[in-house]
Amino acid sequence: MLQWMWFGMMGASLIYACICGRGADMLAAALAGTGDAISLTLRLGAGYLLFCGLIEIMKGLDIPQKLNRLLQPLLRALMPGMDARAGQAVTMNLSMNLLGLGNAATPLGMEAVRSLDSLRESRPEMAHNIYMLLILNATSLQLVPTTVLALRTAEGSADANAILLPSLLCTAASTAAGALLGMACRRLEQRHA
Amino acid sequence: MLNGLMLPALMLALLIGAAWRRLPMYDLFVEGAKEGMRVAAGVLPNLAAMLCAISLMQASGLMEALCGLFAPLFAWLGLPREVAPLVLLRPMSGSASLAMVERLMREYGTDSRIGLIACTVMGSSETIFYTICVYMSVARDRRTGYAAPCALLGSLLGVWLAGRLF
Repeated sequence: MLQWMWFGMMGASLIYACICGRGADMLAAALAGTGDAISLTLRLGAGYLLFCGLIEIMKGLDIPQKLNRLLQPLLRALMPGMDARAGQAVTMNLSMNLLGLGNAATPLGMEAVRSLDSLRESRPEMAHNIYMLLILNATSLQLVPTTVLALRTAEGSADANAILLPSLLCTAASTAAGALLGMACRRLEQRHA
Repeated sequence: MLNGLMLPALMLALLIGAAWRRLPMYDLFVEGAKEGMRVAAGVLPNLAAMLCAISLMQASGLMEALCGLFAPLFAWLGLPREVAPLVLLRPMSGSASLAMVERLMREYGTDSRIGLIACTVMGSSETIFYTICVYMSVARDRRTGYAAPCALLGSLLGVWLAGRLF
């Protein structure tokens, strides 16, 4: 899926550029993109170093286990049959997302995918749990959109917080809809399997 | 205010808790940061592929053409067509969509309907493709099944709701 999406984006852009006579700009644009990747990685990397370090301290305090117990009922309904290690990474990922610590959530999500992926060989139904994890993360769980608030303040908004409640409603609606759709897809696929 | 206090309070609670339990917090932090370094190194090639494609879409004019194409859909959803590029960019690139929000606020005002909808869309959604791309970069089996379509449809509902609320 990723492969074909990438092919579509690259291919369509290149063809369109040639038709519009912008072919000469393409190399510069491609290099600008990969250059952006370097600067973005540096910025993200600072966050990874900080939050991965702090997470290690959290682990020392058994905070993942405590959060795990709290979110367990919800998790059992959405992603059944996970082992303790995967479950812990998933719940930590979800809690970090809720708090708006996206930089901390990412490495935890990757750890969750890695452990679910390694279970996939012996238990193919784990794929559905990976899909659900992706859906929950990709529909945004953030309770307070900190970056946008900062931007609104910087732009001199008279009421920067005006978007707080609407954002919360929208993200709740999108995550609930995504999760329900995912559960429906899981039912459908398992019935046909 | 809330944001100014949340992170320092969290970090302080963490450090005090670790000191209370006599944990080797310095060693723990360094150990975790090593993992963070590994993560960052793994993400870079994936980001390069994605940002390269997005850059080509913008430079070729394809992005603009797509926005024009989607204008009727936006009218039907009750959204101003000015936010079309934002909604199309949002699932693909966080930095590009944030730049778009800034441009929309500059042009139409932070507290205009367009500005408010743009901020709400930005604050209530995720970079769907980027998130999936980064998360799956550590999996051997890269199939993502129904994840992307479900996330996209869910997010579209959020975008529609943003248009209703303002």
